[in-house]
Amino acid sequence: MTRQLVRAPLLGRDRVGPLYHLLSFDLEREVEAAPGQFAMVRCADWGHAPLLSRPMSLVEGGRRPTILIKVVGEGTRRMALAAPGQPFDLMLPLGNRWSACPEGVTPVFVAGGCGIAPLLFFARELRARGTRPVALYGGRSKDDLPLDEDMSRVSDLRLLTEDGSRGVKGLVTALLEPALQEVGRKAKVYTCGPHRMMAAVATICAKLDVECEACLETPMACGYGVCLGCPVKTSSGGYLHACVDGPCVDARTISWNR
Amino acid sequence: MESVSTMSPDQSVNIGSLALKNPVLTASGTFGYALEYDDFFDVATLGGVCTKGLSLEPRLGNAPNRICETASGMLNAIGLANIGVEAFCRDKLPTLRNRGVTVVANIFAETIADFVKLAGRLDRENGIAALELNVSCPNVDKGGIAFGCDADMSAAVTSAVKAATALPVWVKMSPEAGDVVGVARACERAGADAITAINTIRGAAIDIETQQPRLHHRTGGLSGPAIKPIALRIVWDLARALHIPVIGIGGISTGADAIEFILAGASAIQVGTANFVDPCAAQKVKDGIRTYCERRNLAVRDLIGKVRAP
Repeated sequence: MTRQLVRAPLLGRDRVGPLYHLLSFDLEREVEAAPGQFAMVRCADWGHAPLLSRPMSLVEGGRRPTILIKVVGEGTRRMALAAPGQPFDLMLPLGNRWSACPEGVTPVFVAGGCGIAPLLFFARELRARGTRPVALYGGRSKDDLPLDEDMSRVSDLRLLTEDGSRGVKGLVTALLEPALQEVGRKAKVYTCGPHRMMAAVATICAKLDVECEACLETPMACGYGVCLGCPVKTSSGGYLHACVDGPCVDARTISWNR
Repeated sequence: MESVSTMSPDQSVNIGSLALKNPVLTASGTFGYALEYDDFFDVATLGGVCTKGLSLEPRLGNAPNRICETASGMLNAIGLANIGVEAFCRDKLPTLRNRGVTVVANIFAETIADFVKLAGRLDRENGIAALELNVSCPNVDKGGIAFGCDADMSAAVTSAVKAATALPVWVKMSPEAGDVVGVARACERAGADAITAINTIRGAAIDIETQQPRLHHRTGGLSGPAIKPIALRIVWDLARALHIPVIGIGGISTGADAIEFILAGASAIQVGTANFVDPCAAQKVKDGIRTYCERRNLAVRDLIGKVRAP
């Protein structure tokens, strides 16, 4: 699908708990986007400040692409205040998609916070094929598990929080080994979330010789391969660029120790 | 039949012996190797494109984080990551040549000898319109800004490169030279065909939560609308002082921004950081300049340096 820059009005903004917002946009034409791909997003009226677009994983594609945001700075703060009808500039679809889960292999998802976005998109796609992934989903507290209900409809979902306010208390990675043993046959792990979580997931998968794909998140200025602002160190000592070489990458190709 | 009055005013400009179809180029380091824009627009419609800075050998660049946003601008410390001159000539240039793109090869080296080698290598290729010498990168330990803040060094690089190539040579100025006009004059005397101004200005940002610099390199080059007034002032000073053309760059994101630089004396302009926000930014700047010229029925050339006294 050709990448395009489109101006589109905000269709809806739904608060998801105290920290997150789900934003959907009303495009004139369908954009074929796949799970794992992302969009560069900014409000059309920002002028020179904030200057850059924000990279956001897609929760849905099509005519009404959807993103999940957490307020972390000025850009997301303004997005969280946007009213329906307000114009946004979106560049999409960008990056690659999650690789396919082969026949007879169980997909096991490990998500942290906002990392749920590309995995929910993927789970919905898998459902259409009759596949139901195992999904381990963790956050700091009960407020950091946005879209958990949506995810529970399309996966075998297990929740964890660091403070024990919801689900099992602990880090999401604690459940990964037991989950892989429980699956009992071949599994493929897909993970998206904070760097440290994905690093731990990658380590466990490497130890158990389970295939693992990670959806990377880094700062980026352009989203299409020219600013070179999103390098991620590879295990062979070079860099790949999250925007065009990813964001979905084989976890073994990444040097996770920063 | 079209009458003369409805014809679009001439947008072409000359940078020394080099004729550009319009005054809009894209800035080195903000436009990749120009083949990344296939989905967006035909880059051959631009006055030209300046490549990512090319070195003799490929460079990995600096460790992340390499970028961060600041008020109306951004800091970058990419560290001249590039595929190297050989890969450029083999994998990128033939396609650019076939499409009729006006290619300005931006080159970077840590020594005069390597600048000369690069110039000699590119001189053998068809399809390169000019060389732009990056003697002003703030994000590398050697070469870069260390050359560009010193008039004698800048002149030495310029004359050595001129001797190694028949291509027009542009020299890209650092705004941090104490006397930018002095450095530019030295380059002019050394044979430079044009001066590009300005490169980024060093800045810093600190994350107060982690209490660490936001960039791994500690400092980075500030670009974007935040630096436009500084760039415009320097371009204006240079245009008044030099006999060779000045190419204006620094925070240009609209046709109006570009017209300011042209009125101040720029013969052409470069669009940089704006490309990140909108891949079609340069095309829109080009259209904005044309609209301005049409409204006044003036050619771009009639506007260069035509700023009036207050």
